[in-house]
Amino acid sequence: MEKTVLIPTDFSIASLNIVKNYLNEQPADVKLNIILLHGLHQTDSITSLLFCSKSRMLEELTSKEFNEGCHVLKNKYASQIRSIRKDVFSGFTQAAFNNYAEANRIDEVCIPILYNPRFNSKNSFDLLPYIKASKLPIQTIGSAVDVPMPEKGEVAELFFNRVSVS
Amino acid sequence: MKIQIKTMLILLSAFLSIILLFSGFVYLSVSKYSYEDFYKLLEIRAVTAAKIELDQQGSSQEMVALRNEFFEKLPLEKDRYYRISPGESFKNESEELGLPISFFNEIIKKGGSEYNKNSMFYKGIRYKSKQGEYVVIASAQNYFELHHSAYLRRTLIFAIVAAFLFSALIALYFSRFVFRPLRKITDRVKEISSENLHLRLDNNMNNDELTDLTRTFNNMLDRIETSFETQNNFISNASHELRTPLTAIIGEADVTLSKIRTIDEYIETIKVILDEAETLDRKTKALLFLAQTGFNGKNQKFDKLRIDQLLWDVKETIEKINTDSRIHIDMSLLPENPIKLKVKGNEQLLHLALSNIISNACKYSNNNVVHVSIGASDQNVFVIVKDHGIGIPDKELKYIYDPFFRASNTLKYEGYGIGLPLTRNIIRLHNGEILVSSIVGQGTTVQINLPIGRFD
Repeated sequence: MEKTVLIPTDFSIASLNIVKNYLNEQPADVKLNIILLHGLHQTDSITSLLFCSKSRMLEELTSKEFNEGCHVLKNKYASQIRSIRKDVFSGFTQAAFNNYAEANRIDEVCIPILYNPRFNSKNSFDLLPYIKASKLPIQTIGSAVDVPMPEKGEVAELFFNRVSVS
Repeated sequence: MKIQIKTMLILLSAFLSIILLFSGFVYLSVSKYSYEDFYKLLEIRAVTAAKIELDQQGSSQEMVALRNEFFEKLPLEKDRYYRISPGESFKNESEELGLPISFFNEIIKKGGSEYNKNSMFYKGIRYKSKQGEYVVIASAQNYFELHHSAYLRRTLIFAIVAAFLFSALIALYFSRFVFRPLRKITDRVKEISSENLHLRLDNNMNNDELTDLTRTFNNMLDRIETSFETQNNFISNASHELRTPLTAIIGEADVTLSKIRTIDEYIETIKVILDEAETLDRKTKALLFLAQTGFNGKNQKFDKLRIDQLLWDVKETIEKINTDSRIHIDMSLLPENPIKLKVKGNEQLLHLALSNIISNACKYSNNNVVHVSIGASDQNVFVIVKDHGIGIPDKELKYIYDPFFRASNTLKYEGYGIGLPLTRNIIRLHNGEILVSSIVGQGTTVQINLPIGRFD
């Protein structure tokens, strides 16, 4: 069985913990395509449209730790993960989001109970309203308790954080 | 002589020779061109003069008028005509004008010749007129030679001096610019001695030769410091770890010997002593194992090695030294592909480094459970040690790698402040990275990144 799951992300290690917890709950025979989606408003000036490059945008948004964390997860669940893809959604309307979901054949959305994204870029926006308004099945994971950790922002955060996702 | 001055001189001489060559070439070519130009001018004048004086062609009045109108008067201009009669040489004329006889011979033979003496220029041509053949010589003073060339010389000399000064400035600046990082390195190296071996050269990230040098030097310091610290570490560990069971043995024996006891009591005492002696033996063995790093800064063997295996070994060693420790090795993010756990490293050194970190975690969390996790990305293997101990105060976090530094909240724990600098050096030797993050009272997390070994 193959499934495409969309997970909103703010490109922090904490958001990778959602992926980890989600993967923990999946049966072993499910093959997953994971899309880590980030909402980002783009300017519509002609020059920025002309020189717009998605890969460069993603490179600016993601940290080295985040990418390493992705690889750690991919190595751990090598047989379960078909692909992990980082993507940027920059639409303004619900229809655009629905189209995106349809085009990428998204079967499920996974969000943590303690959803509190922290954006580094001022152009970023929260995808949750779009997700809620779309008719995609939503799975919530994690618990509602936030535990302070010393290793915030480092790859180490991925290893221990089982209780909370924030 | 300093290399800086040498470089400056070399640069300067290069500049200077280029300038000299350049201006010499300009001077010579300009004066050659002006000479040729002047001779052509004289030739035209000679022909015109001959046409007017000898041929009486057309209306000579008109010609004279034309000549006066269009030809500007040259200084000391004079035209001379000599008839060529066979068998007669121009010896008298040549003596009279002060010109060599070969000048005249060449005119007769080749039809034209040039000569100059003291800025007087002579152009002779052979002219065939109606009255017979003539030698026509036009002469004039070269105005250029007198004025322009002197001006050109002055200009060039001035330009050379200016360029020299300018290039001296450039050479000075350049030599300083090139050698500034080198001077910086020298200054920094002077600061480093056996007391502060933990100092390193600043490594700026441009990939040039000096960065290479810096890296090599730092690497050497890493090795030297590691071998220093390995010994220190052993001594401090030994004195600390061996004391406890020894005290127990001595105390037990002392108490028992203070009066006559029953056989059962003696058996009990000897059992306790045996127990402690066994602990002592285990600890000694474990410590010796740690000491036998085989590391003397020279022949360190870097082999293939699996981090998970190493961690189990470390766990075993630490449990031998400290029987109360509780270490939980967490494999939940272990990669499916075991190749990703292989690193290139020295087993003893890495063993020492990891056991330092983990035993610290045990010590400062009062033997609470210590979680040790492994994971691997495509570039790095991560070993993460997390305890729930006393933590490190925020302000002191930057000093933890200084030898003999101990955080202010560690007073009731024994230790010498040697382990962490040593660990960092070992990780550095493996091109790895160590990150420590902590919250006081909550615990400490140490993350060690080691690059995955590429074995092809």
